[in-house]
Amino acid sequence: MKKITIPAFALLLAACAPKAPSAYDKTDSVPAIFPDYTDVTIPRNIAPMNFLIEDDADSYITVLKSGSAEYSVKGSQVRISQSKWKELTNAPEINVQVYARKNGKWTAYAPFKMTVSDEIDPYISYRIIPVAVESYEKLTIRQRNITNFKEKVVVSNTMIQDNAQGTCINCHHYQNGDTDNMMFHVRQYKGGTILVLDGKLNKVNMKTDSTISAGVYPSWHPTHDYIALSNNWTHQSVHAASHDKLEVIDENNDIILYNTSDNTVSVIENDSSELECFPGWSADGRTLYYVSAHYEAPFGPDRKNQMFIDRKKLHFSLYSKPFDPDTRVWGKKELIYDAAAKDSSMTWPRVSPSGRWMVCCISTHGIFPLDQIASDFVIYDLNDYSYRYADELNSPFAESYHSWSTNGKWLMFSTRREDGVHTRLYFSHIDENGHFSKPFALPQEDPDFNREFLYAFNIPEFMKEPVHITPRQFASFISSTEATRSKYESKKGE
Amino acid sequence: MNQKKENNKTSLIWYSRLILPVALWVILNLCSADFLLKVEERSHFEFDWFWFTGFLKEPSGLLSWLGLFFTQFLYLPWLGSLLWVLLLTASGELTVKIFKVPGYLSVLAYIPAFIFVVYNMSMGYMVYLMNHPGYFFMPVLGYLWALFTVVIIRKPHNPAASLIITIIIGFAGYYIAGFYALAALITACADSFRSDRSRLSRILILTAAAITIVLSPILMVSTTEYYIGTGWTLGLPDHVHTVPLLRMQGALILAMIVLLLISLLPHGELNGKKYIPIIIQFALLVGIIASTSILWYKDANFKTELRMIRAADNMKWEEVTRILEKASQSQDSDWQPTRVMVTLKDLALIKTGKDGDYAFSFSDGSCEQKRKWDVPMSIQIGHTLGFHYGIPGLCQRWCFETSTILGWKNIIFKYSAMTAILFNNTALSEKFLTKMDNTLFYRKWAKEQRKLVYDRSLMQKTAPYDLVLPLLCHEDRITSDLEGCETFIRRHFTGPSPVHSTPMYDRAALLFAMKSKDPTLFWTRFVLYLDSNNPKKIDRFYQEAAYLYSQQGNSDLLLKALPFDEQTKNLYKSFQNLAQRTGPKDLEEANRIFPANLRHTFFYYYYYVNNLKLF
Repeated sequence: MKKITIPAFALLLAACAPKAPSAYDKTDSVPAIFPDYTDVTIPRNIAPMNFLIEDDADSYITVLKSGSAEYSVKGSQVRISQSKWKELTNAPEINVQVYARKNGKWTAYAPFKMTVSDEIDPYISYRIIPVAVESYEKLTIRQRNITNFKEKVVVSNTMIQDNAQGTCINCHHYQNGDTDNMMFHVRQYKGGTILVLDGKLNKVNMKTDSTISAGVYPSWHPTHDYIALSNNWTHQSVHAASHDKLEVIDENNDIILYNTSDNTVSVIENDSSELECFPGWSADGRTLYYVSAHYEAPFGPDRKNQMFIDRKKLHFSLYSKPFDPDTRVWGKKELIYDAAAKDSSMTWPRVSPSGRWMVCCISTHGIFPLDQIASDFVIYDLNDYSYRYADELNSPFAESYHSWSTNGKWLMFSTRREDGVHTRLYFSHIDENGHFSKPFALPQEDPDFNREFLYAFNIPEFMKEPVHITPRQFASFISSTEATRSKYESKKGE
Repeated sequence: MNQKKENNKTSLIWYSRLILPVALWVILNLCSADFLLKVEERSHFEFDWFWFTGFLKEPSGLLSWLGLFFTQFLYLPWLGSLLWVLLLTASGELTVKIFKVPGYLSVLAYIPAFIFVVYNMSMGYMVYLMNHPGYFFMPVLGYLWALFTVVIIRKPHNPAASLIITIIIGFAGYYIAGFYALAALITACADSFRSDRSRLSRILILTAAAITIVLSPILMVSTTEYYIGTGWTLGLPDHVHTVPLLRMQGALILAMIVLLLISLLPHGELNGKKYIPIIIQFALLVGIIASTSILWYKDANFKTELRMIRAADNMKWEEVTRILEKASQSQDSDWQPTRVMVTLKDLALIKTGKDGDYAFSFSDGSCEQKRKWDVPMSIQIGHTLGFHYGIPGLCQRWCFETSTILGWKNIIFKYSAMTAILFNNTALSEKFLTKMDNTLFYRKWAKEQRKLVYDRSLMQKTAPYDLVLPLLCHEDRITSDLEGCETFIRRHFTGPSPVHSTPMYDRAALLFAMKSKDPTLFWTRFVLYLDSNNPKKIDRFYQEAAYLYSQQGNSDLLLKALPFDEQTKNLYKSFQNLAQRTGPKDLEEANRIFPANLRHTFFYYYYYVNNLKLF
């Protein structure tokens, strides 16, 4: 009986599915849809690419076809069922035809397609933050299964902080997308760096007497037990009338190497006239890329204010530094991009797992691309260190943090392109020549989500699997464990 | 005859129960309409599914949603307060009915309602800190849910059915109403011991309630992002800044304890004792009225501020100064305004072009706001000042900070949208305007604003942009507002002059130069003012400052060159004579000695208004 009922029900549903109109006019333009998913390249395992038709009409029918699969949706909200989407993504191309009826007449828009391509890591994680400058109240690091719409909290500051004492959580990071080796920082109340090493929780304080701060921006070594981190003394100031809300400076920056196996910290770069930041390992772990700005002003109470005055002179250049992971011996640094000479500033070098490409943020000055409308991406071919602006990815607003999928085929990045304030996540496919496909927004069950949601996405990272430790386990560990102080060790080599 | 007396007694009880709500409604509208408007302005309700589903994620979210639904009607204070009073009345009347409260004690049933009144109306400046969505209506709605719970649990007499109903209504109730549902279960248990149900039935209700009270917060909270400790009090306002938890929650917990006690009251009237019921009733009434009246927040400065802020937000600049003038007239000579009043007054004078003639004709000072907890001025009016003083970065910053700390509010959406429009950011403007489209009372406003998004030429002749653009002629600069938004504004206008300034900007810059008491800065700004404004006659207070600084610098050239009025010279002479004769030590003494015409001069400001605490 059951066997008969289900196909019968499916047949009934199919019979109810809206049919494309038989008579209609044609227009050459593609429909205006949100998010813009026209002619994008998508991973074959991505969640349904739900969208909203924005052109004004009385009714709509959307027909999606790929191979033998066909699916039609009525209405301006195109929400595609998970099972049907799976069928549609089995073919290399999905063709989308939108019909709109206005004043009793149907019009067929020019069809658009979605090209189905390589798989993507099934999970991503990001921080959800308010767009305020100083306050945060509720912060969560969340993980999303991007093959569907399921999102879960990894850790929330509300589980840790006391009413009077706030807790900030930031900079979550994984070794090669493996969640058994992950980290994030907890600042202020119950502070420390939380390290998950082979699935076990640890809490450390990386500040030593010989370093200027605890670890900040991390990059986990791809093969060994090391994490390169920046040290930062960060300050911020407000713009009176600019699309850039905020100006961020670091009064001082260094780069350290943290050894997870023996909880030791050693300095990689700490030149007092240089502001070194944003370490990023090469794919083989034998080179560390980082950025640094030359700045000379005496350390003291006036340095910060002077730096704000000089902010447009802070140009971060790109460097590489050879490293032998077995002996931990460093080579001499080498300048790759002279930012001061080009009146620009390079930040966040991130190398693809293939080792061929490196994407960085580039802006006019300073260290904080997130709050600079001018921030764009450049891509380096590491075979010859040639670079170009990744115009396929860039928008009139700020492009900032980016992360490579573990197969090196996809770049996920945060951008303010939608409204200039709320950072959203976008994906793009890279081909063998280093060209990116048209970026598309992280699919949401409610296609209007990005417009309704008043928080920002921050620090998107790919993961091969979900984080297995529960939010409560994290919270209880953070609340009950004192951070172990790291030991300082001298640098080897040079 | 006896029947007639009994009827009279009943009528008295009825009248008192009728008069109180009516009196409350009248008082709310006559004395506290500005406060009610502030409550509404600092809330937000949308007729939108996405927005609604946000409330389903947390226990007590539905009660919050419902609280916000009612709060939106405070936009029309008479309507919102009427709904509130009706709900409060219903809570009292239903309490009498459900627990069969004897007539002579029936006023007791109104005590929770009056606790809710006192809780809300004693808030004062705490209104700026309340971050719990729907907090104004939630207590009475939660209380009504508690009454509903008692009635539902009473229904079945079968022990098994009682057990199931208690668990279902307990868990569902916690999801809907949080703390109030848990308090309702305790009341229902007490109630079950007064009814004629079986012992087994009572034990089962008690057991079911205990299990639900312990488990529902643990189970539900374990699936949310909340700290476990807050599970039992979800639905009550949480700790904000330095406000103690007891202040936020104590009264509301007390109201539910009163409900529990009411459920234990004896049934039946006091037969044969003619006057005792009337005396008890009267005593209760007097107690309620007296305590409400004492605890009701009635600070005159707070009221003045509320009215001035509202006038400024509605761009009624003449009214801003009128309100301050009226308020100062009703006070003693040593009365000082708060900094909120002073900054709004200066803003209004700049907007109306009357700064030069009126800026110092109001008392200045730094009267402390009457409040127990820190409420930064930036949270109170940072967005208003930032926007109207032509510093959109400051406005945007405080919109975002306030929304982060205290949640999104109508006033914050309004200023966020207007700032986005000023920045020519269509997508962001649309985002905030769509939020206002989804409201009942602001959709018309949103429609009007949307016209500006797509036709910027309208801005030149549309308020408030017409009077903001002239102040937005400055170059972008970065600065810190950690010392407070008033200091930020002062630093902004005393900073570098814009390359292409406007007459309004130059007047504002001159006013702030005068406030800084820096003669060099004054002369620089004075020249710019003369150049851009080209006045036929130099405004009174600018003359006074120029005359004072010329005298100080012994500049005969300036004294001869500038066309000073005789009145300025005479005032200066009178001022100096009195000052030399009496030599007051501080502002307080000077306020007593100097007559109004000399108090309201720049000379007086220069010599006696010192060390003002800016915010």
